[in-house]
Amino acid sequence: MPIPLLGLLLVMPALVIVLILFIVPLVSSITGAFAVDGLFGFANFQKAFELYSSDIVFTIVIVSLSAVLIGLLSVAIGGYLTLGSNPRAVAILRWLYRWPLFVPFIVVGQILRTFLAKNGLMNSLLMQADILTPMQTTSFLDWRGIVIAFVWKQTPFVTLLLAGAMASLDRSMIESARNLGASRLRILIEIILPQVLPTLLVGLILSFVTMMSVLSVPLMINAQSPTMITASMAFRINAYGDYGVANALGVISLLTTSLVGWVYLRQTMREHR
Amino acid sequence: MKTLAYSLLALGLTTSPLMAEDLTVMTAGDQNMVDYINDYLGPLFEKQNPGVKVRAVGTGPGDAGSQKILERFDAQAGANVATWDADVAVVHEKFVGPMVEKKYLAKYRDQIESGKLVTRENAKMALGTNVDGYVMPMFNSQTALAYNPALVATPPKSYDELVAWAKANPKQFGYNGIKGGASGVSFVMGWIYAFAGDGDKLQQGPFEASEAEKWAPAFAKLKDFTTNATLTPGNAGTLDMLSRGEIAIGPVWVDMFYSWKATGKLPPDMKLVLPAPGMPGQPMHYTIPEKAPHKDLAEKFVNLATSPEVQAKGIVERFNWYPGIDAQHVQAKLDKATWEKLFTDIGPADLAKNGKAFPIAPYNKAILEAYERQVGN
Repeated sequence: MPIPLLGLLLVMPALVIVLILFIVPLVSSITGAFAVDGLFGFANFQKAFELYSSDIVFTIVIVSLSAVLIGLLSVAIGGYLTLGSNPRAVAILRWLYRWPLFVPFIVVGQILRTFLAKNGLMNSLLMQADILTPMQTTSFLDWRGIVIAFVWKQTPFVTLLLAGAMASLDRSMIESARNLGASRLRILIEIILPQVLPTLLVGLILSFVTMMSVLSVPLMINAQSPTMITASMAFRINAYGDYGVANALGVISLLTTSLVGWVYLRQTMREHR
Repeated sequence: MKTLAYSLLALGLTTSPLMAEDLTVMTAGDQNMVDYINDYLGPLFEKQNPGVKVRAVGTGPGDAGSQKILERFDAQAGANVATWDADVAVVHEKFVGPMVEKKYLAKYRDQIESGKLVTRENAKMALGTNVDGYVMPMFNSQTALAYNPALVATPPKSYDELVAWAKANPKQFGYNGIKGGASGVSFVMGWIYAFAGDGDKLQQGPFEASEAEKWAPAFAKLKDFTTNATLTPGNAGTLDMLSRGEIAIGPVWVDMFYSWKATGKLPPDMKLVLPAPGMPGQPMHYTIPEKAPHKDLAEKFVNLATSPEVQAKGIVERFNWYPGIDAQHVQAKLDKATWEKLFTDIGPADLAKNGKAFPIAPYNKAILEAYERQVGN
């Protein structure tokens, strides 16, 4: 048997599985978004925008804001892991920061639901410490709760990638900058960050796509309006049995993630060139 | 010894399929529905029918669970499967209409003994579809307003009074919108019954698309009301916030309210009120697919499940649900205290007057969508 044919035969099982389990459902839900009573049309999209435009904006704003906060926090943690001068603090931080990686989103939602409530654990602690009075407390179970959940869950993931990239940098440049009297903050911003920027971007893009697809957190924390697209999709199916508009919302969210996915692809292409 | 073991094994292999018959009960709803069948109803049925094994399959809470069962039936009907994978399916009221219309269900009520113990209207019509004979109600549930008497001295007796109260006490009323569970949906339906006219037409039909135009002022009023309310995360979220004192009043399912109180998750002094002109409730129904693998056993199972004894001990005493079959048959099987607990806050007269049905299916969808359009977005 000629080699190319044999190769094709070998990848066949994997290819078929990808085709059946991934490509076919994806295509059918995209075409489903354009199907109106069996014909091609845009009615589903029209309805999606009429009813859920605020949800779409809300989702993009929430996820973008979370991504920015995740970026800032992971740079701070990664920077301290690389430049920190107290070995004990670095060791403790290194041990601690990864924990949320192993907690599923639904559990994060569940924890925060009681933690962030008006009379929840967080506010009770603040009241006991006499930082807040009962009249000053507010519930964080709205958009802020979702942002907190996302940042809590995704920061370790980005930090993990980022700290790895930072650790593999050539330390001689850092040492020489330090010898010349540069502060740690300046070394982080001017020397380390430019070199690990591609990694940071990749981590944030992957997080963005993950956050776009989370249903459990908005359901647990804030399923009113506006809420995230995922909650609206689930509602569309469960309350109306309406896959058309749900598919349209899916396509809208797919377009959003494709946009950032395109940035990711361009980035990796550049790296491999 | 070895031969003995082999022959025992052979005996086991040949006889076990005959001895162990699996009765599959598919149920929508929270985990408590699955537990009810696994811990109580299943063992009871197995004891009466040696060799039968009852297997409960939960499909998830809320409408999503029933939707999954409907889609499963759709798939099996589409593939022309000769015997389906469920003997009994427990679904929400909203989904039995489509199942009957698509001819998925067996008409079995006249075949079973307990069938004649049901005379209530919602066993004949399900949100506008005639389902007479195809369903047996497992229980009836009702929504109402739960309140904290320490914060609400005189509970609002009507939607009008509630609006006035909420205005005077901003953010003290909480509900879960319409995406977080049916207690919020129910509150919205009651709102439309109260402020947009013809509740009877919404509950009985006929459907006229033009009816929706009459709702606009009511929704504008609801949008205004909602800015003064607290939005809670789900059915349980409302009860949570009530128990933490974050809200003073909010719509809940009556059975959940009593169960939470019984397990201490809700302070014992909380109370219920059913405001005029009423809030909806709904039954959950036992259905048997036309192509169920063990139809006779399934009928026997539903007969047991809707017998006065099981309705008394299982439905009323364990879960604080209102019985599915007519109340007088169940009352005789219970002591006075247990029976009266069901009616502590909401008396039978109030329940009869203000316990409404959900609007028929097309109105239901239209109201939800109008809410999304006019209050949500």
